[in-house]
Amino acid sequence: MEEMLRPSDLDRDRFDRSRRIDWLDLDAISRTKVLMVGAGALGNEVGKDLALSGFRDITVVDMDAVAVSNLSRCLFFRESDATEKRLKAKVVADGINNLAGTDLARAVTTTIEQVGSEVFLNSDVVLGCLDNVLARTHVNARSYRAGKLYVDGGMDGFTGRVMVVRPPDGACLQCGMNKSHAKVASLRFSCTGAETVFHEPRMAAEITTTSVLAAIMVREAVKHASGRDDLLLSNFLYYDGKQNRVDELEIPRNQDCLVHRN
Amino acid sequence: MTSWRYPETRTAWYIAIDGLQVSEIVKIAAVVTISVVLLPFRIKVKNAESGATVEMELENDNTIDEVIESAATFWNKEMGAYVVRKGKKVLRGTMVLADAGVREDDMLELVPDPEGG
Repeated sequence: MEEMLRPSDLDRDRFDRSRRIDWLDLDAISRTKVLMVGAGALGNEVGKDLALSGFRDITVVDMDAVAVSNLSRCLFFRESDATEKRLKAKVVADGINNLAGTDLARAVTTTIEQVGSEVFLNSDVVLGCLDNVLARTHVNARSYRAGKLYVDGGMDGFTGRVMVVRPPDGACLQCGMNKSHAKVASLRFSCTGAETVFHEPRMAAEITTTSVLAAIMVREAVKHASGRDDLLLSNFLYYDGKQNRVDELEIPRNQDCLVHRN
Repeated sequence: MTSWRYPETRTAWYIAIDGLQVSEIVKIAAVVTISVVLLPFRIKVKNAESGATVEMELENDNTIDEVIESAATFWNKEMGAYVVRKGKKVLRGTMVLADAGVREDDMLELVPDPEGG
């Protein structure tokens, strides 16, 4: 029997328009296992972009609960989530599943330090959507040890940056850190109580910067999944949202870096 | 000693040193050491966020961490992480300026390393 062609068929495939980009490998993307650490503003945007880009295996890790102040920049959070103090990882995983129309995301509601090594080993790419230096260095080290691509995003107001770590080559996140990072990292130890917001005065954030950075991060994951590592950012991308200026900087590998020495 | 010039090549060094008194060699070595290692030099540091620049007097054994701390303090930066770049390269905090290749009249840039998520 001859196959029937209908013009409307072109619109039945959710990813029809993506398939028109020749270097995108949607099958490979759907098989890629993503570990997303952090389900705050950046995590919401990254989760949305992952689902819409065709990723079908996403683990979301976060131990915090939704707060009202998150609602200005978090797509998946609702007022009721804050009232009920629902856990961010669960809300984001549910949101991703609703968006994708299938259960493809699962939530892990512990700290990343409590997550077993198998979670890193079973992932193909790790996306860091974190809000503090300590957690970043932790995820950086564990991703590196597991030999997984690590894409880390960070932002403050209208500025942001994305770094891609590709073990065993090149520099890692820690190679670019200095005393100022150590000072900020150590501050967290002085916080008391699980709900204390760390360095609250400078946690400026707004959604347009978040969206830009999340898009860049997921784009890197898409390239990696599609086998186009040649297109990956080689190092550190700095985004100045006030000028809409993007700069790619080089972080030389530090041979004394603990991550590389171990 | 009056006509002595800084030799540009290794061979020139041998020729220059040959015939000098030991005391003169010691003096020259001391002058070279002082000029290379100890004498302060000036660079400019740019604030990536505001575009402002400041001149900074440094010595070769100062570290990049010290540049970051001085500049961040000068501009009353909020507590946070910063890096210093020279051109496209981010300079390592523990490096002394001589090893980082920072020279007189160089322009470094203080760039925030945002950690929010």
